[in-house]
Amino acid sequence: MTWGLHTKDTPGNGRILIVDDESSIRKVLRVTLTDAGYEVVEADHGGRGIEVIRSDDNMLMVDVIICDIRMPKINGLEAIDFFRQQFPSVPIIVLTGFPDTKMATNLITKGVVDYLVKPVEDAKLLASVKAAMAQRLGLVQDH
Amino acid sequence: MPPTGPNPQSLRVVILGGGRGGTALLELFTRSPGVEVVGIADMNPEAPGVRLARNLRVPTATDAFALIAEDRADVIVDVTGDPGLGEQLARRKPARAEVLGGSSALLVWKLVQYEQDLRDQLIQVEKLATIGTMASGIAHEINNPLYAVTGLSEKLRKETRPEVIRDYVEEIIQGGRRIASIVRDLNAFARRAIESHTCDIDLAQILEESVKMARRAVLLDEVSVVMRCDSVPPVRGRPEEVMQIFVNLVTNAVQAMEGRGTLTLSTACANGAVQATVSDTGPGIPRDIIGKVFDPFFTTKEQGKGTGLGLHIVRDIVTRYGGRISVESAPGQGASFTVSLPATADSPAVT
Repeated sequence: MTWGLHTKDTPGNGRILIVDDESSIRKVLRVTLTDAGYEVVEADHGGRGIEVIRSDDNMLMVDVIICDIRMPKINGLEAIDFFRQQFPSVPIIVLTGFPDTKMATNLITKGVVDYLVKPVEDAKLLASVKAAMAQRLGLVQDH
Repeated sequence: MPPTGPNPQSLRVVILGGGRGGTALLELFTRSPGVEVVGIADMNPEAPGVRLARNLRVPTATDAFALIAEDRADVIVDVTGDPGLGEQLARRKPARAEVLGGSSALLVWKLVQYEQDLRDQLIQVEKLATIGTMASGIAHEINNPLYAVTGLSEKLRKETRPEVIRDYVEEIIQGGRRIASIVRDLNAFARRAIESHTCDIDLAQILEESVKMARRAVLLDEVSVVMRCDSVPPVRGRPEEVMQIFVNLVTNAVQAMEGRGTLTLSTACANGAVQATVSDTGPGIPRDIIGKVFDPFFTTKEQGKGTGLGLHIVRDIVTRYGGRISVESAPGQGASFTVSLPATADSPAVT
């Protein structure tokens, strides 16, 4: 089964779920990503992120998740575990204020595709998203 | 843990002299397992060692020979520096008591000073570890608004719509202000650490500030903080050290609850002392380790997360202030640490 909206044949560059508790961060990401042709869905904490992606019977389909770590309610690590289990074909990019190499290594081992530290430059973010989207396409097509 | 009652196995010591040497020995001996200080004597009832002894509930005397005559001591340590006393002691001491005086006592005093230096170094190690933990919290706190500032500034380069520009500029200003306020808080904290001198301290205020600082080390968003502060007399000490006690207890409590639960902070008066209690609703401390929590290098945290020195140093500071710290916990019932410190009027001189 495929969860993604985006294939080579669909319009747009794909849909990205942003999970971050800070509205100003979501705003920066939203503008950066929509300007680059992506569709953006937002959640203000991990639990909300899970709800968004589940949304009742209609599983909302996203191609890439950008997730913060330090958040109230369900934090990023818990949310990432959930996403990895339920949606192993959706690449996750961590975007955090913590420059923590140990955590980064752990997360990459868990299957997170990139660990970016705020403040991140647009070019770096977009390169990472592009790579994740390519991986997503590959995974979806393999199924 | 210091001995809690008379123990037939322990070495019983009488200290003669309540000056710097006597105070340091008293402090070390009361912390040493297997050593019981049965009394301290000084002609001056207000000598620092005698005052500390009163706070530690160690018997005091102004007449050395009256104390010795009780015949409870295995060792009499003479740090009076009075050359005539040694001779009198040799004649008048009970037969089984040994006297440690003159150069021997000086040697012990040197060792105690060395131990104190080591302890000061441990405190520095723990402080650095705390700063390390806080640094990542601070990085997070600053990097978020910083990203809003740099990210939206980048957008402004290409943006032409006036209302959007106004919106971004507003957001950038707010981000800048948030960073400024974080830096201001840190400055105030750092200044306090440098200039810290002994003064009267309001424990309720320190508890509040400790929660604020702990917020940089641990995530408190999902913890409800309950303050129940009776009006209590001030305690005497260095604000930085008293903060260190409570930042440590608060951080531990939040970590024990894994960031979710209720943190209760309270102050009260009991037996002429001021008490502050930090309670959590975490899993509690297992019975087999509750006796070890104050031991140096004892930690339940994963490697790299704790030095195992936090609570040891907390108890160290509390003891130095003539206070006590106790812990109550049952599995599944959370844990409660109570610090009791002497109220201002009879606080010992803190060096």
